[in-house]
Amino acid sequence: MGEGRGNREVLQDRTEELLPPPLLRDPCPPTAGLSSAALCSNYGQNDRHACVALGGRAAGSPEEKDAGGSRHLPSFPHSLPWLSFALSPLEPAPPERHPPLGGAAPGAPCSRGAARRAERSASRPGSSAMAPGGKVAIVLCLDVGFTMSSSSPGEESSLDQAKKIMTKFLQRQVFAESKDEVAVVLFGTNGTRNDLASEDQYQNITVHRSLMLPDFDLLEDIQNVIKAGSEQADFLDAIIVCMDLLQRQTIGKKYEKRHIELFTDLSSPVSEDQLGIIIANLKKTEISLQFLESLERLSMFKKMERKPMPWPCQLTIGPDLSIRIVAYKSVTEENVKKVWAVVDAKTLRKEDVQKETVYCLNDDDETEVQKDDTIQGFRYGSDIVPFSKEDEEQMKYKTEAKCFSVLGFTRSSQIQRHYYMGNQALKVFAAKGDENAAVAFSALVRALDELKMVAVVRYAYDRRCNPQIGVAFPYIKDAYECLIYVQLPYMEDLRQYVFSSLKNSKKYFPTVDQLSAVDSLIDSMNLVHEDGETFEDLFKPSKIPNPRFQRLYQCLQHKAFYPDKPLPPIEQHILEMLEMPCVVRERCQAPLERVKALFPLKEVGKKKEEKTAQDIFKDNEDEPSLKKPKIEDEGESFSIMKLAEGNITSVGSVNPAEDFRILVRKKNADFKDVSQQLINRIDQFLENKGSQYYMKGMDCIRVFREEAMKLSKVQCFNDFLQALKSKLEDKALSDFWEIMVQERISLITKDEAEGSLVTGEEAKEFLAPKEQKNETLPPTDEGGDVDDLLDMM
Amino acid sequence: MAGWGSFYRGEGLEEEEEEQQEEEEGSEAVADQRVSGRDSLIFLVDASKAMFESDGEAETPFDMTIQCIRTVYTSKIISSDRDLLSVVFYGTENNKNSADFKHVYVLQELDNPGAKRVLELDQYRGDEGRALFRESFGHSADYSLGEALWACSNLFSDVRVRLSHKRIMLFTNEDDPHANDSAKAKLARTRAGDLRDTGIILDLMHLKKPGGFDISLFYRDIINVAEDEDLGIHPKESEKLEHLMKKVRAKETRKRALVRLNLHLGKDVVLSVGVYNLIQKAYKPLPVKLYRETNEPVKIKTRMFSGKTGSLLLPSDTKRAQTYGKRQIVLEKEETEELKQFDSPGLFLIGFKPLSMLKQHHHIRCSQFIYPEESLVRGSTTLFNALLIRCLERAMMMLCRYTPRRNVPPRFVALVPQEEELDEQKVQMAPPGFHLIFLPYADDKRNVDFTENVPASQEQVDKMKEIIQKLRFKYRADSFENPVLQQHFRNLEALALDMMEPEQAEDLTMPKSEQMSHRLGNLVDEFKQLVYPPDYNPEGKAVKRKQASDDQTEKRPKVEVSKDELRSHVQKGTLGKLTVSVLKDACRFLRLRCGSKKQELVDALTEYFNKC
Repeated sequence: MGEGRGNREVLQDRTEELLPPPLLRDPCPPTAGLSSAALCSNYGQNDRHACVALGGRAAGSPEEKDAGGSRHLPSFPHSLPWLSFALSPLEPAPPERHPPLGGAAPGAPCSRGAARRAERSASRPGSSAMAPGGKVAIVLCLDVGFTMSSSSPGEESSLDQAKKIMTKFLQRQVFAESKDEVAVVLFGTNGTRNDLASEDQYQNITVHRSLMLPDFDLLEDIQNVIKAGSEQADFLDAIIVCMDLLQRQTIGKKYEKRHIELFTDLSSPVSEDQLGIIIANLKKTEISLQFLESLERLSMFKKMERKPMPWPCQLTIGPDLSIRIVAYKSVTEENVKKVWAVVDAKTLRKEDVQKETVYCLNDDDETEVQKDDTIQGFRYGSDIVPFSKEDEEQMKYKTEAKCFSVLGFTRSSQIQRHYYMGNQALKVFAAKGDENAAVAFSALVRALDELKMVAVVRYAYDRRCNPQIGVAFPYIKDAYECLIYVQLPYMEDLRQYVFSSLKNSKKYFPTVDQLSAVDSLIDSMNLVHEDGETFEDLFKPSKIPNPRFQRLYQCLQHKAFYPDKPLPPIEQHILEMLEMPCVVRERCQAPLERVKALFPLKEVGKKKEEKTAQDIFKDNEDEPSLKKPKIEDEGESFSIMKLAEGNITSVGSVNPAEDFRILVRKKNADFKDVSQQLINRIDQFLENKGSQYYMKGMDCIRVFREEAMKLSKVQCFNDFLQALKSKLEDKALSDFWEIMVQERISLITKDEAEGSLVTGEEAKEFLAPKEQKNETLPPTDEGGDVDDLLDMM
Repeated sequence: MAGWGSFYRGEGLEEEEEEQQEEEEGSEAVADQRVSGRDSLIFLVDASKAMFESDGEAETPFDMTIQCIRTVYTSKIISSDRDLLSVVFYGTENNKNSADFKHVYVLQELDNPGAKRVLELDQYRGDEGRALFRESFGHSADYSLGEALWACSNLFSDVRVRLSHKRIMLFTNEDDPHANDSAKAKLARTRAGDLRDTGIILDLMHLKKPGGFDISLFYRDIINVAEDEDLGIHPKESEKLEHLMKKVRAKETRKRALVRLNLHLGKDVVLSVGVYNLIQKAYKPLPVKLYRETNEPVKIKTRMFSGKTGSLLLPSDTKRAQTYGKRQIVLEKEETEELKQFDSPGLFLIGFKPLSMLKQHHHIRCSQFIYPEESLVRGSTTLFNALLIRCLERAMMMLCRYTPRRNVPPRFVALVPQEEELDEQKVQMAPPGFHLIFLPYADDKRNVDFTENVPASQEQVDKMKEIIQKLRFKYRADSFENPVLQQHFRNLEALALDMMEPEQAEDLTMPKSEQMSHRLGNLVDEFKQLVYPPDYNPEGKAVKRKQASDDQTEKRPKVEVSKDELRSHVQKGTLGKLTVSVLKDACRFLRLRCGSKKQELVDALTEYFNKC
């Protein structure tokens, strides 16, 4: 180990210039103490620098904690540090301005894990693909030393987990057809293959793959070829090999960013030199939480990224006034990038399938005629009019040129939302770098806004395109002002249908009771929480990635490896993010029951027959054991599939609540043991503040409570809840406690389940606020240690 | 920013869009399987003398009727040329019908609308038309409405194809035709009852009658309103063509549900709704291939064969593939469908949100419309109505996950409530129900490189406000005709009728430059002085830039006529012999700014050459 040092000193200068602050972590996951607002604004300014700033902050926190010395190192069996080093580019890239993302409004807490996850994965600013045009060089540096392959029985080894993450990451890159290049460096290999290796230096480090576009060969290597070695190697040595590789292989090419991702369990011997402090910090296991989140984030495929194409034009108001503008597609229905090619089932070759079109007369013999003997015609009602392509071209309507011409202005209320046509909304700005245009444009936008008016415009993309009529309305944000253009219908596109009156119908008019039932349903299912100060939207579809693409890539990736197997089931987290938020689901049960009771709804027609047949079958069924769980689980988003597969062995971090639910139902399950695993997860989430963690923790607690009741393990839950309460008070996690109170998650009472001694009142009391204690808290705070201070942030 | 290059359905669109078309059409067919067949509509027109009398300047009721029918014909040709239409007069002197009823004249049997029929109708318009009508058919007050209705029902039954929807529109301005003949009145009521029993809808398009049209005198027992169009109130008589048009247009096309499905409020609280397209892009129809010799349509067959062996390939002999990461991934055709399957068809309520949360620019697709459907779940209408009432009152929308049919991945939609609205003539302008607004996923939003804001001063804003106020108008969704479609059909009409030249459609999408200039007066100059420096030319700059970067595209217009030739044309005054497109290209080549009308082009070129 000591021998390595000499080499490292040789590289010292290089290292320093490459690694600005000692340690940079993956900047993406929201870190404890850093609000998402901070993340966004940093990214907004400059991608690269934001990394540094964040990294500095993040790297700082373990040190501070170290100084306090009070935080213990939770050692989770699953924990695997996933570190990421961002290197500054060879040539400093000019700072790029990024528009703030539509949804990047800071501070709106989200009480829904899935949606939040989706949000982060979908619209995270500063991801490599966002970098304007630039590609990223990434080295995946994987520890394959012998400790990596060991695992407690029934658990995945660290190596397997690391491979899983790498696979997910690479799959995303492959399906997004990202231009980022990826190299793979292994350390702890039996052999040695790297450019720095000499005699006893940099041994057991192998450059498995040079910097190049990732492909399925690489994915297959990770799955099948890369195995644990019987050696160990210093990860700092490995990092230096990676840096060397990056330096050599990026010479002469432009990269937006260079990156090392390190996967290790940190159990290999490491030489203690000037980087020792980093190692100490690495051992701090906040990182393990990052890993958890990382896997989650990676399990979403990349959002479709397309470069916005500017459309320069002139906005005209009458013949004498024009303003130079530029427009971009801002919202548009994104389609799958690739179409399915038809291939021969045997050879699997596209070239082997050929198509031939024949034309034949509509007679008994279907006489074939040559294509040259056919002409084009159109139906005109009952007539068919021969109309050659040339004539059509000559006589057709011709668009003069591209245009964005105002026809007039109208009240914004006269343009109704349901009249919007087409598949897109454009954002229109003043032309770039033309201050005169910008002023004129601003006058228009503001005048429209103040008058609550909109412009009706003729819009033609270019002279080959057909003109549209559309609306341009003002849209004013803090950062910019623009017009939004959306197409409106032509007379020919409208269909006027008459529908029977509901207002004038006595038969279908609801009673006062019925209306009030609907009112309480609306109240309980309101997705927007507003209490004067905070404003929270529980469900934002525009933050959810299109499940269609997620599913397509999942299937493609599965088929790439297992061409002969059937399609895999849809991933649970995809289904979850499409579901009603749990809070709402629970809240609306009673109002729904009332609606059900007050509005008689009766299925008629075919469906009814099927159902009665089923009902009869059900009645004859004497197996309560089969029937009961079925009824209980109805509507719960939890896959029986997984239960059948039996591949859940412990409560993981991705879907802990679901894992728990499956595990406790297994035969011979030890409720206590499994619930302890769940409790560990809950602790983990609480350590890592942030609403998305809280919500996950909340889900765990809710499921714990449910299962404890069902399986008569009431005491187990109540003990946990008591302990949790005092823990929350100690750790100043009052915000989490408030959620508990709000959600009314209290002790299980004896009314709810046998075996409980808790009365309803006691359960209420349990959640009651303790004002006195709050008052005495501040003084202790002053004398508190660093750990507590950190937690307060 | 491509994708609107072509107006043909399917052509040049990405597969996805084609698929969507398929999806939509497919479901429309599925939903209406039980009523497959053609829609049919008979215009039954009172031809007695009163219909031809006008009070002063106004059009006669008969003229209004004919214009209205003509409009329906031409719009049917564009939108649904498979529908069958017919025109029947009653109250004529002459007769022509299969049962030889007196005073009933079938002008056009039930058939597709076509150019010749439109021309035939045109003959009877105006004063000359009135004279021709009198000459050809004459008038008689001795008709029996019952027989006229009978003749209509014969027309329906004489048609060979299956009819799904049968409707008669009765145009008259006589509110009590058989006041003095109770036998005829009774017969009319009996026939009307027969029609009702056989599912034929009879709408009254009553026209202006001096002293007012009283439905209660006779027609209340005659008309048969479709069950699903009951407004609980009768529309007023139409005094103007515009009013009549509105009434007719509301009923001319059969309401067709795209799909009928369940709206799940909760696990076991389910109502059913029909989904409708109130807006659907009208496309140029696809061209058909004709055999050159006979102009008869040919069938197009596509075959797949193996490039290797030359043998025919069945669909089952093929698979589907995509290539990623240098690897071809192969799926069965069925699997490519299966992977799009998430939910069973339906709307699944996620929750409610204030209407104000609907972002105006989050637009990805045309909206749809839902209305309750009692035929699947009885009781749906009351619950639907309660939801509608409360959502309207509380300005809330419903957020749902929407799967229109199997193998279509879900999308989120906002259900926006719409209150029922009638106009002064008691014609429904807005039906009660929810608009279904499609919401974008994260993938559908793009980040754009916005231009730094340079705020205008209040003075500048105020000047622009004056400009805006001068150019105010009241937008109506049906104010703009599609110039591309209109021109296409006029071209076809001209060819079909051997007209010399197609009628030029007025392009309503062009700004009315002169009027705008006139209205704005000095405001534009004042505004320019406030925002633009004297030497600034917003147009010049753009052109300059174009020259530098876009040289190639600028050269694109082929100059088929040289500058010298043009000059000689100008001198000889023969510029008009060149086609519009040649003139346009010439103007473009010479960088002349002018309109697209032939005269404008000629003028611009003449001016140019006379100057230099």
